[in-house]
Amino acid sequence: MKCIKQEISFTLNGGAVCVDVPVTTDTLTMLRDRLKLTGTKYGCGEGECGACTILVDGVAVNACLMFAVDCHGRELTTIEGVQTEDGLSTMQRAFVSCGATQCGFCTPGLIMQGTSLLNRSPDISVEQIKRGIEGNLCRCTGYHKVIDAIATALDSNRSAPKEHS
Amino acid sequence: MANVERYEAPESLPELTQILAEGPATMFAGGTDVVPQMRVGARPVRPTLININRLADLRGISESNGVVRIGGLTSVADILDCAFLKQVASVVVQAADCFASGQVRNAATLGGNICNASPAGDMIIPLLVLDAEVELASWRNACVARRRMPLCDFFTGPGKTCIEDAEVLAAVQFPVPKPHTVGRFRKFGTRPALDIAVVSVGLAGVKENGCFKDARVAFGAVAPTPIRGRNTEAALVHVELDGDRISDIAQVAEQEVSPISDVRASAWYRTHLIRELMERMLHEVHQTRD
Amino acid sequence: MTALIEKETLIGKRVPKLDAPKKVTGAAQYIHDIELPGMLVGKIRRSERVHARIVRIDTTEAKALPGVHAVLTAADTPGVGLGHGKDNPPLKGDKVRCERDEIAAVAAETEDIAEQALKLIRVEYEDLPAVFSPAEALEDGAPIIHEQHPKNIPFTYDYHHGDVAQGEAESDVVIEDNYRLHFVTHCCMGVSGAIAQFDSEGNLTVHSQTQVPFLYKKEIAPVIAVPPEKIRVIQPVIGGAFGSKLDIYPFEPICIFLARATRRPVRVLFTREEEFLASPTRQPVELVLRSGVKSDGTLTFRNCRTLHDNGGYTSWGATTPFVIMQTISSLYRVPHCQYHTTVVYTNNPYSGSFRGFGNLQATFAVESHMDKLAEAVGMDPLAFRMHNAQQPEETTPQGMVFHTCGLSECLSITTEKSGFLAKHDANRETQAAPTRTGSAVKRGIGMASLLHVGGGAKIYRSDGCGTILKVDDHAHVTVITGSTEIGQGSETVIAQLVGEELGLPVSAITVINSDTEITPWDVGVHASRTTFIAGNSARGAARKARDKLLIAAGEKLKVDPETLDLRKGLVVRSDSGESLLELGKLIRSLHFARKAEVVMTSDYYEPPSVMQDSEFKGDVSASYAFGTQVVELEVDTGTGVIRILKVTSAHDVGKVINALSIEGQIEGGVVMGMGYAIAEHLIVKDGRMKNPSFRDYKLVTAPEIPVVDMHFIETNDPEGPVGAKGVGEAPAICTAAAIVNALYNATGVRFCELPLTPEIVLRGLKQCGGHCP
Repeated sequence: MKCIKQEISFTLNGGAVCVDVPVTTDTLTMLRDRLKLTGTKYGCGEGECGACTILVDGVAVNACLMFAVDCHGRELTTIEGVQTEDGLSTMQRAFVSCGATQCGFCTPGLIMQGTSLLNRSPDISVEQIKRGIEGNLCRCTGYHKVIDAIATALDSNRSAPKEHS
Repeated sequence: MANVERYEAPESLPELTQILAEGPATMFAGGTDVVPQMRVGARPVRPTLININRLADLRGISESNGVVRIGGLTSVADILDCAFLKQVASVVVQAADCFASGQVRNAATLGGNICNASPAGDMIIPLLVLDAEVELASWRNACVARRRMPLCDFFTGPGKTCIEDAEVLAAVQFPVPKPHTVGRFRKFGTRPALDIAVVSVGLAGVKENGCFKDARVAFGAVAPTPIRGRNTEAALVHVELDGDRISDIAQVAEQEVSPISDVRASAWYRTHLIRELMERMLHEVHQTRD
Repeated sequence: MTALIEKETLIGKRVPKLDAPKKVTGAAQYIHDIELPGMLVGKIRRSERVHARIVRIDTTEAKALPGVHAVLTAADTPGVGLGHGKDNPPLKGDKVRCERDEIAAVAAETEDIAEQALKLIRVEYEDLPAVFSPAEALEDGAPIIHEQHPKNIPFTYDYHHGDVAQGEAESDVVIEDNYRLHFVTHCCMGVSGAIAQFDSEGNLTVHSQTQVPFLYKKEIAPVIAVPPEKIRVIQPVIGGAFGSKLDIYPFEPICIFLARATRRPVRVLFTREEEFLASPTRQPVELVLRSGVKSDGTLTFRNCRTLHDNGGYTSWGATTPFVIMQTISSLYRVPHCQYHTTVVYTNNPYSGSFRGFGNLQATFAVESHMDKLAEAVGMDPLAFRMHNAQQPEETTPQGMVFHTCGLSECLSITTEKSGFLAKHDANRETQAAPTRTGSAVKRGIGMASLLHVGGGAKIYRSDGCGTILKVDDHAHVTVITGSTEIGQGSETVIAQLVGEELGLPVSAITVINSDTEITPWDVGVHASRTTFIAGNSARGAARKARDKLLIAAGEKLKVDPETLDLRKGLVVRSDSGESLLELGKLIRSLHFARKAEVVMTSDYYEPPSVMQDSEFKGDVSASYAFGTQVVELEVDTGTGVIRILKVTSAHDVGKVINALSIEGQIEGGVVMGMGYAIAEHLIVKDGRMKNPSFRDYKLVTAPEIPVVDMHFIETNDPEGPVGAKGVGEAPAICTAAAIVNALYNATGVRFCELPLTPEIVLRGLKQCGGHCP
């Protein structure tokens, strides 16, 4: 299939980006192949595994299911954009200290999804955290330590200011 | 193989419908169905690709003159979070809660789920039991024309609907459910969500003094399209519910579906589940005070 | 006044993984993330048939497509077979034997072009009759899959000890059951891929996710006609392995062929669908188990026959009898035992190694039987197991020596903590209760134990691992280990063991483990061996460095080195903790001395295990791991849905080195074992996979997980590093068996097949087997 390209501009991890993409390209392909941001992972290409989770206008979506052209005018945050000036974000630190990462392939997606849960509501139960990551598959951890990490980050963020919307 | 020659991102319905009038086009909003379908060649490629995600006026949930209107571009997440819907038509919210995952709910739109016309489409079942209509818009005689049709007549087969090439699903509307309406949606699966329904059941009706004055029942994944359970409805209304009656009604439900066997379940199991889910739903409704 | 430095230990601590920071920032580079200049995209054309002769392959059109650099078929390759049976040529020229079969490959500028080119390859087939079960394949006149095996039997395995006839004669109760275990697959979150590149001298660099980098060189060399010494294997960060990368599968040599043909770097990457279709599976097994017991609860004999569906080719799945027979012969004391496996070619997908390596299948059967036998002699499941459990210092008739064995402790603690006996009795009371709507949910509790190798497995002449260790002038340590990190946390454990010896925090230690040009030899990451084998090797190198440093410090300080210790980066007096010298300063003084020296050591650890003899007897591992899991579940008898509520586990881990990592292994293993039992099912019909996607292949998701109550039995293995045993595979092994026992406790219905997906459970409960209308 041949297809035309479209120039789009958007905010990516706080900086302005202007890029032309084939109009049928998905956002994951654009991020990885074109913009060389490889922290966002391909796991299934059909929204079943969550490895490609990014934030668009602060909301978590699967980059593999989003047309790249739809990024135009919007604000994207990928795993490369969640660190703060002080280093790792609260969520990232919690993933490290709670042992929530093993092979690590699902980790960027889980951190993005965890970050979106944290931004949305600081007071959620463990059951809500489990539902919150129902769209992220992990084959190594059995999710326990991931849930610990998100709960830990929520705890430590309750009194602290909000990060990265 | 067809090529994509044109890309448009209209911001208004007149703009969109005019583009649609110009020739075959593929529309997308959230992209959650279209992107993977295009990638594997399951959706024919048309020369024009239209991003309809920027039409602000097709997004949102409102009520006027006793009619609830949900814009075709309203996301499933917005439906899930809508306090008004929770109050007046919770059956829609129940279905939204079983829909895919948080990430997909954020992107997927109501119009997309309906037009994808999966026999298992989660959002379709509750709308069927609310007697919803779809509003289809197109460009006619230099202005936007709208036609409405009952949702239950909209589907013609798996992935097939009555929508014409030049039309877009602008909104879904249904009458504000009357007082004492109970609504239930159950989808069978081992997970709370992130599952294609093996079967699903919806029920809505006015229940007074332990008895349904009117009722609508719908089933997912038991036929080529989502279907209304007319026989079950007839068996249900004006009947005083008790254990035996509930069992009889569930049997009617079981008898009026004729599902297929596929990789997800056998026809036998699907039929059994319809009965089981129907029976449980009625018991639960029966035990809930009017 | 000098500071007094207390001795602090790193052992048993919750030390975060060394690689966690790069994984949480997206900086970790997996095979998918590596970009080499001029790299082409490699794609593989796979068979559309399950058993067919290839009449003709026409690549003319594909070759002519602009942007295509090479199109290869079997005719362009040496045609040497891969895998344990050497029966799997990377590209098939004569015929195809299963759905995934590779018949041509393309290297192109872009993915789109490569895909288009694949479609332009014309293949003409002549269909052959096919077989889809071992039983069919064993029939007289069945289609022959490989000409050199006219009976379709590439391997058989026989083991025995004692005399089962005598055992049967001594039995008061004898039972026999058929068990059928299904296809599942690894589902590594990172799909498979490889990158190959040749230099102008013909030296090959492969970026490979292999679990066995050194064996890989030897194995692949004849297949690609490149001598092993010209092959360099670089391992990127690996996105999950679980055994799937133990063997070499056709995509890797194909990638290498494409790189050689194009003189460009080439990457082959799978899609998720391809990952399902073209990855190995767990070995499906049909298993007949016959067991006997005396009325006092003493096991008398066990006779086991299995049929292994080998699929079209022979990978590691065919060798799972090595492990299956261990559990049959030695999980409990069995005086008489006979075991036979027939491995049979079919036109189904083929199996590889998968965490537990046959042991999930064996344990499912053995532990189901243990419950049945207990019931038959009127004992409770715990007392019956206790009565027959192996004990420390026992040598099993198969020759395994259990220097330490915490099985009894595992049985005690899990049953005590879960309240097993009381719940087990209470649930039995409600088994027969009517299941009207609203009270359709029944509760069950079940238990199962496991035996697995915990100190490597000597399946090659060496089961060793090498380490090179250097301490730099600022007391930073680089540990170069042969072992492979696949996410399990081995580099962190190695850093802890080294830090413990050298009195340094893990932040002062870098572990290098990813390049065969740098790292010393190792067998690979499998058989739960890395903590044990690589840990001992790293510890050996660290001890040598420690000795060297203390001798140097003694000379410099003019004191007896025996009186010195290394703590917190300092040389201290071991009795008082008085700080005497900064470690970095000591090393710099060595560098700047007249006879300058670097502190660099190496160690090769070879465990004291032996290869099994021709009768499969011998002490194959330096240590053995044991464990027990108790599962509590609910089953909805109206729908067949099982919910796992709680798993109480106890594992004999020797010694906990990293509490965080070991908990992660247990939790992940339990959920994987649970997925095997109730969720995952690779549906293969007429040789074709019907559900090659996460939509229809159900991995366990977060809302479904049970509470995991973990207990660690520390038996301090005399040979293990600081007493530790390997535990990577163990937690996945007995979960399914405990689940099926719990399901029986809930319902009184005994299931002998997996998976226990809702429809299968409901059919079983309705007592209509597979024959419902």
